[in-house]
Parts: sequence; structure tokens; C-alpha cells
Amino acid sequence: MSFDAQREKIKEICKDLLEKGLVETVIGYAEGGIDGARIPYMFGTPEGAKALCWDQRCVVNLCTYAYEKRDRKTGVVAKPCDVRGIVNYIAENQLNRENVYIIGVDCDGMVGADGEKLPWCAECSVKKPPVYDVKVENPDITDGESAKKEEPSSMPGDFAKFQTEISKCILCYSCRQACCGCYCPVCFMDRGVPNWQPAEPGQGAKMMYHLGRASHLAGRCVECGACERVCASGVDVRYIIKEATKFIEDVYGFRAGFDTETEPVMAAYDPGDREIGFLGGEKHE
Amino acid sequence: MNNSFVSKETLNKILKELAAAEDVLLYAPVLNGKVLDFAEITDAEKIAISDDISYKSPKEAFMPQAENLMTFSEGGVLESAYDKKTVVFGAKPCDAEALRVLHAVLMTGKFQDPFFERRFENSVLIAVGCASEKPGCFCTERGFDKEFSDFSDIMLRRDEGGTGYTVTHLSGKGRELLSEFNETKGIEAAKRTAKAQGTGMKKLELDKSIEDRELFDIIDWDKATEICQGCGMCTFICPSCHCFDFKDVSTFSETKRYRCWDSCMYPQFTLHASGHNPRASVKERFRQRVLHKYLYINKIFGYTACTGCGRCIRSCPAGMNIKKIVESIMEVLP
Repeated sequence: MSFDAQREKIKEICKDLLEKGLVETVIGYAEGGIDGARIPYMFGTPEGAKALCWDQRCVVNLCTYAYEKRDRKTGVVAKPCDVRGIVNYIAENQLNRENVYIIGVDCDGMVGADGEKLPWCAECSVKKPPVYDVKVENPDITDGESAKKEEPSSMPGDFAKFQTEISKCILCYSCRQACCGCYCPVCFMDRGVPNWQPAEPGQGAKMMYHLGRASHLAGRCVECGACERVCASGVDVRYIIKEATKFIEDVYGFRAGFDTETEPVMAAYDPGDREIGFLGGEKHE
Repeated sequence: MNNSFVSKETLNKILKELAAAEDVLLYAPVLNGKVLDFAEITDAEKIAISDDISYKSPKEAFMPQAENLMTFSEGGVLESAYDKKTVVFGAKPCDAEALRVLHAVLMTGKFQDPFFERRFENSVLIAVGCASEKPGCFCTERGFDKEFSDFSDIMLRRDEGGTGYTVTHLSGKGRELLSEFNETKGIEAAKRTAKAQGTGMKKLELDKSIEDRELFDIIDWDKATEICQGCGMCTFICPSCHCFDFKDVSTFSETKRYRCWDSCMYPQFTLHASGHNPRASVKERFRQRVLHKYLYINKIFGYTACTGCGRCIRSCPAGMNIKKIVESIMEVLP
């Protein structure tokens, strides 16, 4: 099944949903970005489905919009990473399962303006939506090992790489805004009391922000790559969060966004938990 | 060789000397990983000369993201010194036009900004004309010449053969800088003025006689801004956005007062101490951004604070497009 066939099926489903009044709004993709990029598109009438797009340029993670519209029934055209974001919201009690209708779409990865597969898509191993209300399958796509192997852990002692990477950051907080895991009403970086953010946007403030955000996202990142995609400065934002995600998977065997019922790993405590997750506990190898 | 020509070698030599000079800050486009940045340069080899537009604008050279203005201590108040000359190389005509707006707002209005002024007076802006329009660019629609702006101190146009540049505009400051070098002493600007753009095309602007209230509901702002994620990156990379905030940083012995960029796209920007926020949602914030640029500054200073560089359109993670929004307003206006 090609993109075209998938798109026609998506259109049909969305039209049907609105006609039957099962949802108030549908969030999908439409034309309108520069260089052929697709932009988020929200509509509330069956006719609106005509403008829907589905191809290799549908990069934006739509689950943040579903979260914005959490007070009403919303349908979302969701790639596996979008689904994982939604599942994460549900698991963290931020979104009612009844209020979101997941149109799960198989996805083999998106491409950038240059036609090359985006780095996070190249590393992705989840090609089929783990949770859905209706599925738009593509038999050519199979779940499995990612084409590109994850780089080996560069955490121990690689402080210099981290410093170089974040020196590009201009602290615009776009990565936070685009991230589906960052939904705090007031971010720790914006808090006045205590004031975590040094006034000068120097390395100190950047470290505070990136390390703070990475630790808040431990075991919650759904690997959608939104943070890195939005970064105009070209910071490898995911690099530090990938480490946190890998750590959680190694230690607790948990990956975020697969199951709405399982308690989020960082919200659960078991006396038998390995001490490695605690400050000053056993050493991580 | 005519009198307004600067060869590539001469320019490289000048940039090299400027980069090495201790009393000069040189800002220029530089490749930072994959993206074209605009930053302070100490090694002229790193300057990336290309027709592409840097994602950041050169406004940082005139208004740094954080600037220490003064220090309070038991000894009194000490204003921070600034005695360096700034040379900005490789700005685009749209950046120079944006500087015209900054200059108008910060130096010609009711309030003067001495910190901007001292940087502006001590700076030389070397702009290079664009050879082509990039995706997202709309300077032509805004009525600007992509090859020329007379608000620069030295305006260069790349020669078709690629051997050098033709100087098409010189200000006093620009002339002074070039006269410091033997190769460019006595150089004259070739005759050139900004060409009228977009003949027969409706210029993208709003009539300043419009009352702002009329525009508050003129289009469906909810619909127009529903995909905006409110990240504020557009304001940080915009060459004409200039809102700022003050921050005091105290240690045991002294307090430093900083001026930092702020952004109207952040919820904290208008948050009152009472907890009330007059611009509570992205809709109000984005509307403010559009109307501030296209209406309010135009009403007060006579300029539209958007020069069509397209940075916000290219970098927007969601695909917001200020041009389309202004067009949709113009369509419904009588």
C-alpha cells in the first residue's frame, strides 16, 4: 500500500468520524509549508477531509495539538511516535482516553527538504502504532530493528562533546515547546522562585536547561525527534536525552508510550528497584 | 579596474585584519555544524561567504542577547564600559533595513537608548546584496530591493565572475573604514539607488490609519494561530524584534544589571504580579506580534518592522507564515 492509498483511507476515516459526530475536530496534515513541508491541519467538517495530505513530509508531531484540545473529542492522524506521545499523556493522566480517537498510521520514516531520511526516523524501530482506534496499515512496513544502529553510549567522560553541542543553543526553548513530554504549566526554567536560570545565556544557563530537561524526560521521551527538528541552531538536542532513555531501558526495562495502563516508570517505586537509579548508588557501566 | 571594485583577495585581507584587531569586534556568517550562524569571529578563515541567509540575524551585534549595563556595589553604581568598534560583515539588505527600524525605535523616539546608541555609533555595517530569493523570502513583496539598502555603511554586490565585489553605497563610516587600508583608499561607490520593487504588485503592508481594535476580530485569529506552538523562536531570530527585559544578578558584594532579550510569544511576557495575564493564549500573543510589526510601529515611527527576510517562516517548527496572515488581513480590509 502506498502513501496514496493510505491517504485515501485516512480521508475516508476522518470524513466518516465527523459525519457520525464521533469527534469535534480532526488533526492531520495539509499543504502549506515551505519547500513542500506539510503543516498541521485542523478541521471540523467532513468536507475538510479533502485537503488532508499524507506523504513523506508529514513530520510535525501532532500529539501536542491533541493535548491542547484535550477538553473535547479529537481525532488524530497519528504516526507511531505521535501515538506514543498520546499514550504518554494518557498514562500520565493528562488526557482522557475517551477524548482522543487515534487513527494509527504505519510509518516508515519521514524525510527532510533534501529528500534524506530524518536522523531520528533513521534510528526509529517503532513503525507500527502500538495503540489505536483504527489502523491505516501499510503491509510493506514491518516493525523491527532500526536501519541505523544507535551509537554506543558516549556518556562517561564525554563532557566536552556536551559542552560543544550546547554552545550552539540560543535558549529560545523551542525544543521544550515542541516536546510532548514538556507540558508543565510553568517550566522550571521560567520559575522566579527558586530562580534556576542564570541571567546570562551562557554555558551555565544552557547546561542547567538541557540537563534539567533531560532528567525530567527520563523514561518519558517517545523519540519523535521534535526537539531536534525545531532547533534552528542545529543543536543535537536528542543526544543527551537518548542517554537517559537508554539508561531507563537498561535499568528498568521500560520504554514510554506503549501502554496506557502501565504506571510511568519514574512515578512508580518498588523497594526492589536497583539502586543504580539513585544519586550515589551503584555505578552505571 | 574601475574605482568601485574590491577584489576577493582585498576583502579577505581586510576581514583578516579586522578579525585579528583587538579593539574590533567582527560579526559575520559562520557555518556552525550544518546551519549558517551569525556570530562573533576571531578567525577570518571561518567566515562563510554565501548567498544563503543565516538563521540568526545580525541584530546581536547591536543588541546582545544579554548585556551587562551596570553594576551596583558599596562603591556606587558603575556603568559598564564599551569602547570597541563593531564591524558587521555579510548582512543582507533586509538586515540593514531592519536596523533602520531598530534605529528609529531605539534612537529617534520619545526614549533614547544609550546602550544601543553607543554600539550603533561605533559600528560599520557591511551588507552584501542577495543574488536570489530563498524559499520563504518576501522582501520584494515588502517593497525592498534584494540587492541594495542605503542603511548599510558599505553595500557590496557580488561580481558575476566571482572575482570580487562592487561597492554600491558608502556612508561616512564606511568610507572611513575603507580608507584605513591602502588597497581601498579613495574608493567610490558606483551609482546605484534602491530599485522600486514589485511594480504592479500590492505591497505587503497595513494602512497606518487603521485603528488596532478594527483588526482584533477582522480575521479568525483562532484559526490563523491554531498551529502555533508558542515557542518564540521567531522573535529571537527576527532582525527587527527588540523587546527586552531587565534582570539583576546578585552576589555577596555586588549586583549586576543585565538587559536580556524577551519575547512577546512567551506567556510570562505580559504576566501581571496579580496572576492576571492580558495575553493569555497563543492567539493574543501572535496577534500582538503581527500587529506590533505591521501596525503599531508603523503608526509611531513610520516603518513596518518586518523586512521580509523570511527567517521566521523558514525556522517555524509548525509552519506559521506571517506573510499569509498579513495577506489575509489585507484581503478583508476595505
